[in-house]
Amino acid sequence: MKNYARKWLIQRITAILLIPLSFWFIYHCLSFASMNYSQLFLFFKSIINSLLFLIMMISMLIHTKLGCETIVEDYVTSKSLKHISTLLINFIVYLSMIIITLAIVRIVLI
Amino acid sequence: MTNNRPLSPHLSIHKKVLTAFFSIFHRLTGIGLSLGTIFIALWISLIALGPNYFYLYEKIAASLLFKFILFFWTLGIFYHLFNGTRYLYWSFGWGMDLKSVYSSGYLVLFFTITSTFIVWFYL
Repeated sequence: MKNYARKWLIQRITAILLIPLSFWFIYHCLSFASMNYSQLFLFFKSIINSLLFLIMMISMLIHTKLGCETIVEDYVTSKSLKHISTLLINFIVYLSMIIITLAIVRIVLI
Repeated sequence: MTNNRPLSPHLSIHKKVLTAFFSIFHRLTGIGLSLGTIFIALWISLIALGPNYFYLYEKIAASLLFKFILFFWTLGIFYHLFNGTRYLYWSFGWGMDLKSVYSSGYLVLFFTITSTFIVWFYL
């Protein structure tokens, strides 16, 4: 598959995943507001919650990466600025993925 | 980089029609939500680090500015979700006649506003 066809498909697969997962997260955000630290910690201690959260965040970050790269391609005309922006997007996205995974692993294992 | 993808319509040239506004807002909310994703990453890290670190988030969350941003985050995520659903079925070529495009557009606005109000004032 061509590069852009693959990106197009991944953007849509992550979008489909994000529809139910976002509603799940927004629903829980309503109770997060009144939770204290240990209640929040216990929420993510549950394997099912932390797994859903991890899948949501990874999909969201892939979706974010593809979306932001497309916006940069469309509106940034300078070639070097385009290159730097793309690098920055990728750096932030992959760093966030590592941080989130480490955080979830730590919460579940503690 | 091999770039042969057709680029997005040039904003300053085209007449501003409703569909263009929907597209622009989809991108703007997308950028906003990207920043939100980074914030969620920091939030879960603070939970993992322990209550002494999580205190930092609690301090930020208590501010009025945070609630203000959170309100717009809710609007943004609902808009992006509902409008994105339209783009998903458009990918299959469904509902692309002008009449459906406009009526589904108004539905997106309706769902976005009602969902945001339900989340903030009824739940």
